[in-house]
Amino acid sequence: MHDAQMDYYGTRLATCSSDRSVKIFDVRNGGQILIADLRGHEGPVWQVAWAHPMYGNILASCSYDRKVIVWKEENGTWEKTYEYTGHDSSVNSVCWAPHDYGLILACGSSDGAISLLSYTGDGQWEIKKISNAHTIGCNAVSWAPAVVPGSLIDQPSGQKPNYIKRFASGGCDNLIKIWKEEDAQWKEEQKLEAHSDWVRDVAWAPSIGLPTSTIASCSQDGRVFIWTCDDASGNSWSPKLLHKFNDVVWHVSWSITANILAVSGGDNKVTLWKESVDGVWVCISDVNKGQGAVSAITEGQQNEQ
Amino acid sequence: MEELDVEPPLTLIPGVDSKRKKLCFAWAPGEMLVYETLFPKECAEKRPGCPNIFIVRKDQDVYSQTLRKLFNESHGIFVGLQRSEEELAGKSRKAQLVRVSKNYRSVIRACMEEMHQLANSTRVPELQCQHSTQVSILSAMELIWNLCEILFVEAAPAGHLLLHLLDWVRLHVCDVDSMVHEVLSSENPSKHKDFWNAVDIFVLQGRMDDARHLLSKEASANPTSMGMCKILDDLMKKMPILSVGNTQTLTEMELKWQHWHEECQRYLQDGTFSSNLHMESICKILLGDENAILEKKELMTTWYHFLVTRLVYSHPTVKPVELRFYAQSSMDLFLGGESSWEPLDSILMAAFEFEIHQVIKECSIALSNWWFVAHLTDLLDHCKLLQSHNLYFGSNMREFLLLEYASGLFSHHSLWQLGVDYFDHCPEYGKVYLELHIERIPLNTEQKALKVLRICEQRQMHEQVRSICKIMAMKAVRNNRLGSALSWSIRAKDAAFATLISDRFLKDYCERGSFSDLDLIDNLGPSMLLSDRLTFLGKYREFHRLYGEKRFSEAAKLLLMLMTAHIAPCSFWMTLLTDALPLLEQKEVIFSAEQTYELMRCLEDLTAGKTDNQKLQVDDVETTKVEILRLALARNLARAIVKEGTLEGS
Repeated sequence: MHDAQMDYYGTRLATCSSDRSVKIFDVRNGGQILIADLRGHEGPVWQVAWAHPMYGNILASCSYDRKVIVWKEENGTWEKTYEYTGHDSSVNSVCWAPHDYGLILACGSSDGAISLLSYTGDGQWEIKKISNAHTIGCNAVSWAPAVVPGSLIDQPSGQKPNYIKRFASGGCDNLIKIWKEEDAQWKEEQKLEAHSDWVRDVAWAPSIGLPTSTIASCSQDGRVFIWTCDDASGNSWSPKLLHKFNDVVWHVSWSITANILAVSGGDNKVTLWKESVDGVWVCISDVNKGQGAVSAITEGQQNEQ
Repeated sequence: MEELDVEPPLTLIPGVDSKRKKLCFAWAPGEMLVYETLFPKECAEKRPGCPNIFIVRKDQDVYSQTLRKLFNESHGIFVGLQRSEEELAGKSRKAQLVRVSKNYRSVIRACMEEMHQLANSTRVPELQCQHSTQVSILSAMELIWNLCEILFVEAAPAGHLLLHLLDWVRLHVCDVDSMVHEVLSSENPSKHKDFWNAVDIFVLQGRMDDARHLLSKEASANPTSMGMCKILDDLMKKMPILSVGNTQTLTEMELKWQHWHEECQRYLQDGTFSSNLHMESICKILLGDENAILEKKELMTTWYHFLVTRLVYSHPTVKPVELRFYAQSSMDLFLGGESSWEPLDSILMAAFEFEIHQVIKECSIALSNWWFVAHLTDLLDHCKLLQSHNLYFGSNMREFLLLEYASGLFSHHSLWQLGVDYFDHCPEYGKVYLELHIERIPLNTEQKALKVLRICEQRQMHEQVRSICKIMAMKAVRNNRLGSALSWSIRAKDAAFATLISDRFLKDYCERGSFSDLDLIDNLGPSMLLSDRLTFLGKYREFHRLYGEKRFSEAAKLLLMLMTAHIAPCSFWMTLLTDALPLLEQKEVIFSAEQTYELMRCLEDLTAGKTDNQKLQVDDVETTKVEILRLALARNLARAIVKEGTLEGS
């Protein structure tokens, strides 16, 4: 299995694995019912991502077979609703943009390009591609939370606020890049250098109303950095080393309220980190404060007890 | 990297083979998924399967039935406290805060009781174990809270302090009663093996009357020791205690106490009790002899009991600031060299040392749920005790804990509603936390969605309102409940969606000849203006209504207006014109000449719009329709002209 993601509400679980399948389970009330087994990829599937529920039940998956598939639940059944084959090699990461921007999917690929698929209605998708985003390949993409620039007064209905869309990407060129949309084009806004080996994952922290932005990145060099930018214009990013692990760090992810960062990799552990008030990151590893329930779901078995 | 006081706890996931596979994870609302995988990802070769996903849950307590009552009732107390009058100053405010503290404690005790019942009634050993553990945790919580109440909320001064501490000890060392009951109910109480233990424990807890009562049994049973009993009884009776209503000052009390102490001393030195070891030991205890008291270790069971007993008999007017020294030495004496410190011990010690933040910190580490520290800290914050401490978080400590607690509540399908109120009372981050969490609540039913919506609307969380309405509208469309979808999209002020749904309605009408959800469409009101298509839908329905009420000329006017004002989409014009047919065929002339010309123009516009190719491909039905219309229009025109001409004429 390469990825498992809960949907927005924690009621459904999507998993994907080397056997080319994408499976969806209903996990309400501790149950594990297989709802769908989606076939369509011709290679191991690397990642899945759920779109915001206001667009319906939509799931995106990306795979070694260079394809990105968007699946949708219609009348109780899951079907392929769109397939994108615009990349020349493995697509490693997919990430849906904040729902305020519409239904937009960013895909990072080993061919070094990043594609942005925007749903324009009636089954049509508009494609924008950033070629050579990272030399050798792009491993991860992560969107910045939607923040309306300027005044926070509620906009009259029907008018779309002018969001500044941004996302971060990490690649095999050891860099993290921040991309900004300007005049309907995507431009590289920042280049963050600190890693000495391939960047494996980036995660942009959810916003809690402060003017600062925070990005976590992890790399093959065993390091995890926390990048913060204090001003709203997004110009000066400063890294802070969270920790140096003894092994490759594969995955970083923020909790909903961005107060805990989870890191996996290095000595087979998932560690949890929290920032103390004086800005220092401390490992809490409090996945389970002494007690907790661990229940297992076994994939691929039809007859569950 | 900062040093932590304790090593981060390690959670072992059973069944994970860490040698062959690596762990990866994903966040879920309220939980975390951990699954085995193999890295690196680049190669595509087939690998042995990694079928397992583990769900690791942070807070199990939210799911416990009995604890739920704790959460619910404490929520009520919490909200009441936030809203209570701050204007009350001094004594009345303090009394109010003490009441709140007692309320919290009674809720804990009630929960404990229930848990205890459960533990006794269940026959499943794991459950019983679980419940019993829970009971002891709750009991420890109440013990700590009670002490904090005495020291921090009540902030009892010297004199009263000891009285409260005595009450505290008496309340929490419960084995006394059962033992005493056994002794008293036996045939010959004074001969019972636990008799002297009972007397001792009463003395140790300063319960003089009870001790004297037991002693009288000995006196009556054993005439030889009656003399000694009488003297001891007398000493006990005369022991000066500071009762709550007493008006004597501390100095007066101390003086009296000194006299009494000396009297006891004299009797001991005279050897009055030398023939009865038990009574001699009691006299020594009365004199505050540490060793004598320590001998009764088994009865006291805890060092804090020892502490209070010591104070009762050696420093009854102890001041709060002096407590720490006595506490430390009591613990050392009691535990001897075996420093088997439990977390509870360090928490209580921190309390005796008046290190509030230490208490909170230790409790946070020791307990599995934020409930306790969140509510206690909030209360202490209301007592204005947190600001004076130089904490990392200052007054934000309270908010930090409340945020953590409330966040935990959100993973529960109904307790989340309590969480909302907690966020409301966190001035800095409460709102944004609420925004982030409330979006994750599954909107399984319409009622739940409405509940969430109401909460968002009350707090002007417009983004969330829109988002929820959109989600519900989408859901309704998927389940073919168009009326519901329409009302949700109106509520979301989502013009695009409203257009979509209106189209669906119109499509349905074309296919079935009737509208569903008439009530909704009839009562659209000003929301009709949200989207053009919606306006058309509303007006079109109005046309049908007018027709049904036989208000033909009004209906006719409306119909025409729909086309000329371009409210109706071109695709619908044919249908509208077809709808006009019955009006054209009426006996009475409804459409005026002018109007008929308009209609004809519309028809021509419509047919002219088609290219030649289309004209050729148009099927017979279409052609026939157009022909019929042309005919009807012509006939109507004729009649209209005649009618109008006639009127003019006369």
